[in-house]
Amino acid sequence: MSAAPGTALAASCASCHDCGLLSRLPVAGAHGVRCPRCGAGLHGRKARSLERTWALVIAAALCYVPANLLPVMTVTSLGKRESDTIMSGVVYFLTHGMWPLAVVVFTASIFVPLLKLVSLVVLLISVQRSSSWRPVERTRLYRITEMIGRWSMVDIYAITILVALVRLGNLATIEAGTGAVFFGAVVVSTMLAAESFDPRLIWDRSDARSP
Amino acid sequence: MTERGPRPGELEGVAEAVVETRGRPSIIWLIPLVAALVGGFVAWRAFSERGPEITISFETAEGLEAGKTQIKYKDVEVGIVEEVVLAPDLSGVLCRARMVKGSEAYLTEKTQFWVVKPRIAGGQVTGLGTLLSGSYIGLDPAREGKRTRRFKGLDVAPIVTAGDPGRHYVLRSDRAGALDVGSPVYFRRIAVGQVVSSELDPADDFVTTKIFVRAPYDQRVHADSRFWNASGIDVSVGADGVKVDTQSVASILIGGIAFDTPSEGTTEVAAADAVFPLYENREAAERRHYTRTVPYLLHFDQSVRGLHPGAPVEFRGIPVGEVTDVRLEFDAARAAKERFRISVMIEIEPERFTTLHPDETTRRQGLELLVASGLRAQLKSGNLLTGQLIVALDMHQDAKPAQVVWSGPVAELPTIPTPIEEITASLTHLAERLGRLPVEQIGNELRGSLQALRITLEKSEGVAPALQATLEQADRALASTNALIGPDSDVNSELRRALLELSDAARALGLAAEQIQTQPNSLIFGKEGNQ
Repeated sequence: MSAAPGTALAASCASCHDCGLLSRLPVAGAHGVRCPRCGAGLHGRKARSLERTWALVIAAALCYVPANLLPVMTVTSLGKRESDTIMSGVVYFLTHGMWPLAVVVFTASIFVPLLKLVSLVVLLISVQRSSSWRPVERTRLYRITEMIGRWSMVDIYAITILVALVRLGNLATIEAGTGAVFFGAVVVSTMLAAESFDPRLIWDRSDARSP
Repeated sequence: MTERGPRPGELEGVAEAVVETRGRPSIIWLIPLVAALVGGFVAWRAFSERGPEITISFETAEGLEAGKTQIKYKDVEVGIVEEVVLAPDLSGVLCRARMVKGSEAYLTEKTQFWVVKPRIAGGQVTGLGTLLSGSYIGLDPAREGKRTRRFKGLDVAPIVTAGDPGRHYVLRSDRAGALDVGSPVYFRRIAVGQVVSSELDPADDFVTTKIFVRAPYDQRVHADSRFWNASGIDVSVGADGVKVDTQSVASILIGGIAFDTPSEGTTEVAAADAVFPLYENREAAERRHYTRTVPYLLHFDQSVRGLHPGAPVEFRGIPVGEVTDVRLEFDAARAAKERFRISVMIEIEPERFTTLHPDETTRRQGLELLVASGLRAQLKSGNLLTGQLIVALDMHQDAKPAQVVWSGPVAELPTIPTPIEEITASLTHLAERLGRLPVEQIGNELRGSLQALRITLEKSEGVAPALQATLEQADRALASTNALIGPDSDVNSELRRALLELSDAARALGLAAEQIQTQPNSLIFGKEGNQ
């Protein structure tokens, strides 16, 4: 495999992730290489980026199923228990005319995690197949994925606040369900997956293939 | 996969070292592994904890909500309604519910389901909590019986659930009275149980009332306990007057059953589901304490208006039995005058007598002896106000000789006419004697006396003017007397003075008497002061 000409790696150089200093990599082995200025570990590309991303994406996909099937929140009001999954909450908001809220919950809790999973899988497959298809769009997709990932935590935050606030004994109590744990796992692992993916790999391949 | 390409300036033709790119798998794979394990565990648990699915049919789906309504036993959730659909024949609703694991053991055909709603019955209010929390399905588990998955929901909550300690009993009566499910059962006016159901026995025309007596009061139900209907106010107008009996205000409104256990009877506690007769009222229940009855037949030729089954049979005023039946007999074979006879069936309770006949033969002999010496039955007025009749047994020495008729299935006792007939007879007798009185002679003597009286009066007419003059003279005498002793007369003032002197004299006499009492010698020696 050959690195694309014009990249730091092609010149046997690597820029530090922490301080940005460009330094020449030693010829023998790349293990234990450190930045001469700040002492951070140096590597041309993120170590085992694709493997890690795959692992986290698979974990997120596994958790996505129970996150949507199990109830995320149980409201006990005057002795009446109501368990809601994410989707039933969306339906509840829709049927009660609160469609802006329904849109927010749907986007943040169902659409975005799914979008992240799908886009990460697309990126991973395209990189592994050394595809040179639309590298600019793929990089933009990656940026969007990384940026919106944190917004999925809105749901978890909302549940945590409600559970903490609504403690009125017999009148009303809100408890977090098992689904919330899985949902949190989905959000965290997709965020980590997006983090561990190295977008430069997109360009490594496409540049290598391009004439 | 390596991230280093071949370096510029390296020798061509040198074999490139094989770089192990897929060595030991990264520790990161633990994350999906853990996710898979946890997810799998949750899925397995959810699946393994799925209990049986049951179907309950209800009249209406009032208060039932799919996914929300719970099934509770002792306020513990044991299931949840998953679906509520109309029955295919539109006769009701079918409620599909998922029970918790382990509930198979008590899902038998005897298990009961009902929708818990606020309810006022049997003098108590239940299910108030469901006003706020919404209804739920109550469950009364029963372990015995065939296991099933289809149930018929009850319309109302059962009064007694399987967990309540106590016993059920079955009461039989010929009518239900004012009894409702939930009506209280009283023992010495303490509510100790409730009526569970009241329905017509399909086998016969009796009403079967199931009651439940709570522990420890079920120990008070013995084999010889008497149950009676204590519904409402029991007003009975019998031969002994008006009687009012009631257990409590609640039983006036919602009915009730009372029972009592004779203190001298058996101590054997009645078994569960024992059958007892339910008497109409307390009196009937107490009357039945005499278990042995001997029937007798009486024939009357006169009107028995006012004689009803239940009327007492008395011997010299002491009740010894009761009338069980009164019916009219028509016998074409008899003489025209005697074709209609009224046969009255009575029951004598021999246990009411202190001496019992030891066996049948002596009873016969004893009875024949009694009849021969004048034992007769007759109708008597028990209550003049209500016109009730009773059958009175007594010894009538002067009665016409009669025999006990043993030919029929029931021994027939001889009867004699009622006292009313006797009174009529004696009245006739009296009239006859009155007719024999010498009325004319009495009249003649009376007339003579009256004539003599008139002559005397005529003679006295001449005396009247003389009497007038005498009266006038008396008047005058009184007027002059008045003038003599009037307030202004001399006689009056003289009299007053005389009286004053008399009182002075009396005082002096009093002093003298005192003097004599204290100094008796002063009578002889005079006053001491004068010495």
